[in-house]
Amino acid sequence: MPERKRRRQSGGRRGKIAAREQGVTNYRPYIERKIPYFEILDDEGLALIEGNADILLEEIGIEFRDFPKAIDLFKNAGADIDGERVRFPKGLCREIIQSNAPSEYIQHARNPNNNVTIGGRRTVLVPAYGSPFVRDLDEGRRYATIEDFRNFVKLAYMSPNLHHSGGTICEPVDVPVNKRHFDMIYSHIKYSDKPFMGSVTHPERAQDTVAMAKLVFGDDFVQENTVLTSLINANSPLTFDDTMLGAATVYAENNQATMISPFILAGAMSPVTIAGTVTQILAEGLAGMAYIQLVKPGAPVIFGTFASAVSMQSGAPTFGTPEPGHVMTIVGALARRLGVPFRSGGGLCASKIPDAQAAYESANTLQASALAGVNFMLHTAGWLEGGLSMGYEKFIMDADQAGMLAVMLDGVELSENSLAMDAFREIGPGGHFLGAAHTQANFESAFYRSEIADNNSFEQWEEEGSMDCAMRANSKWKKMLNEYEAPALDPAIDEALLEFITKRKSEFEDRDY
Amino acid sequence: MSDSYLENEDDIILEDLSDEELVEQMHDDLYDGLKEEIEEGTNILLSRGWSPERVLNEALVAGMTIVGIDFRDGILFVPEVLLAANAMKGGMEILKPLLAETGAKPVGTMVIGTVKGDIHDIGKNLVGMMCEGAGFEVFDIGINNSVEDYFAALEKHKPDILGMSALLTTTMPYMKVVIDELVNKGIRDDYIVLVGGAPLNEEFGLAVGADRYCRDSAEAAAVAVAMVSERQQNSA
Repeated sequence: MPERKRRRQSGGRRGKIAAREQGVTNYRPYIERKIPYFEILDDEGLALIEGNADILLEEIGIEFRDFPKAIDLFKNAGADIDGERVRFPKGLCREIIQSNAPSEYIQHARNPNNNVTIGGRRTVLVPAYGSPFVRDLDEGRRYATIEDFRNFVKLAYMSPNLHHSGGTICEPVDVPVNKRHFDMIYSHIKYSDKPFMGSVTHPERAQDTVAMAKLVFGDDFVQENTVLTSLINANSPLTFDDTMLGAATVYAENNQATMISPFILAGAMSPVTIAGTVTQILAEGLAGMAYIQLVKPGAPVIFGTFASAVSMQSGAPTFGTPEPGHVMTIVGALARRLGVPFRSGGGLCASKIPDAQAAYESANTLQASALAGVNFMLHTAGWLEGGLSMGYEKFIMDADQAGMLAVMLDGVELSENSLAMDAFREIGPGGHFLGAAHTQANFESAFYRSEIADNNSFEQWEEEGSMDCAMRANSKWKKMLNEYEAPALDPAIDEALLEFITKRKSEFEDRDY
Repeated sequence: MSDSYLENEDDIILEDLSDEELVEQMHDDLYDGLKEEIEEGTNILLSRGWSPERVLNEALVAGMTIVGIDFRDGILFVPEVLLAANAMKGGMEILKPLLAETGAKPVGTMVIGTVKGDIHDIGKNLVGMMCEGAGFEVFDIGINNSVEDYFAALEKHKPDILGMSALLTTTMPYMKVVIDELVNKGIRDDYIVLVGGAPLNEEFGLAVGADRYCRDSAEAAAVAVAMVSERQQNSA
């Protein structure tokens, strides 16, 4: 009697659909770059910019407004003080930074699998930040609410190509200004387990953020580790204000990371040239980062830049144009020479809607950011209208681009399998590779596959409703929110957070400032 | 055999399945491109007294229909469809001589080739494969075919369908040359003529006198099945 054959049951259609929905990509908490940096200035050019930044710091100086603590610290460090104006001897800021600031650091997430390393050859992709408005295809443009905020936190949590929950992912204007930070920080903790950013709109709000982080991570852990990375803007040109310095001081004292970011609309807030703008950015960045190191030597600090060119025709900021791309590339090189992590870039655009202008402007800035070596890429997803509006569909489109950036930065594998010599031997001249054993073994992860780009025939596309990219993205974010499941949070921590928030909110009146 | 092996719920023995379960399993096995399993399943059904025609239609063609739908919808990828078609072919090899003996016809027959001047055949190959998957007997006459080449193949194989493809805008008009010649010879209505290729559209297909333009391989197979069955009903 012949042996009865037993076999494993095959999954068929159900098995395949389930497997395809799961996706083939293993979540990576950040990108490890394997391609060179794109640089456009040689050492001589970069040294010229550094020399001029030193002259700026020494001759013109930086103003630290309404913030005596900064004046005192710089005075003790050897700077020349004239009221609120601080002038720095040549090389002072660089020396303070280089002898204290870490070249990279780990930002811890409440889920340790999502910890990110910021600096070196890594890139962390982060949602857009700060929009008062949100926009979607169904309801158009409207003021953001805390509900929108939660939605974007959920979408970022579910996006495998975004590594960070971000910060003020949109501004929840339905909550009083002086209390909305509680709801924002709570949303990041409750609805995501990726790392997040802290409130910077008042030192007290920064302190509340640290207090909430301690409830999640524990007091000792927060004192010894970085669990927050927060955005500190210079008030360009050549000025820092007390709000930003106050928040920065709270974070630095608690060993939490800050990114010192000149926010430059070139032509208005800096000279109208690339070389002039990068000189100013370096001077401002050096002064801000040196301040942080004087507050707490060794506190993680990122050199950030956000640059846009102002239309000389109308005065409006423009995005996705070549000159700010050059600014970013040069500042990236300057940050590497200084030895600190670099923040810039994102999916920047001026377009009001997720249209062709939005797509090409954003692609221009996203790819330039990746090539420039950005370590912390704020504004990766959602940005519309110069940051005035956070787009649901745009978020999905940018998150798709983010996935492509990761593949681009992966570079080229030269393993025996990748060299594919067996495939040539199998197929030979005139055949096709679609059925080759090598293809069968590799096709699933071989090429980046977009979930929202349509590559089907014209006829199929038409039959399926002639949808443009934004319409497909619209279905996608709705599907994601429908399927969202919150990551587990220890009920005791949740209770402690809610108790803290209720208590703090009852301690002062609602205010809209 | 160890007990743990017996207890594994995932393990199955095809022979122990009822007809209904076996057909369902063969649909899954086709979907997963398991050629040996399809061959075994085909033999089991035949040994249970199924007619070759019924095995072809209910087990193989019905299974490949699911493959075609999921290929169109982006769930199955090209290399997977190739594996499925290859598994189907395994079953067909067993059925072919039996079908011939009983005088039963396959789903249909087809002559397919790229037109004169056009050597781009990957799309045409995919169409051929999908049509084979749908149960067609496909005579692929390759690339760069002249009117004479097509006519020789039609004469030899007497197919239900003539399929022509082109990738180049400069070669696609040759389809009209072939169809005009069919008309001149008074044999245009003997064949269903399907055309395809990236630069074509529905309008072009009708303008050159084809019966249908097929936008991709999955659609070509579906159209081929539908048109042959319609034609058989009309002539019955």
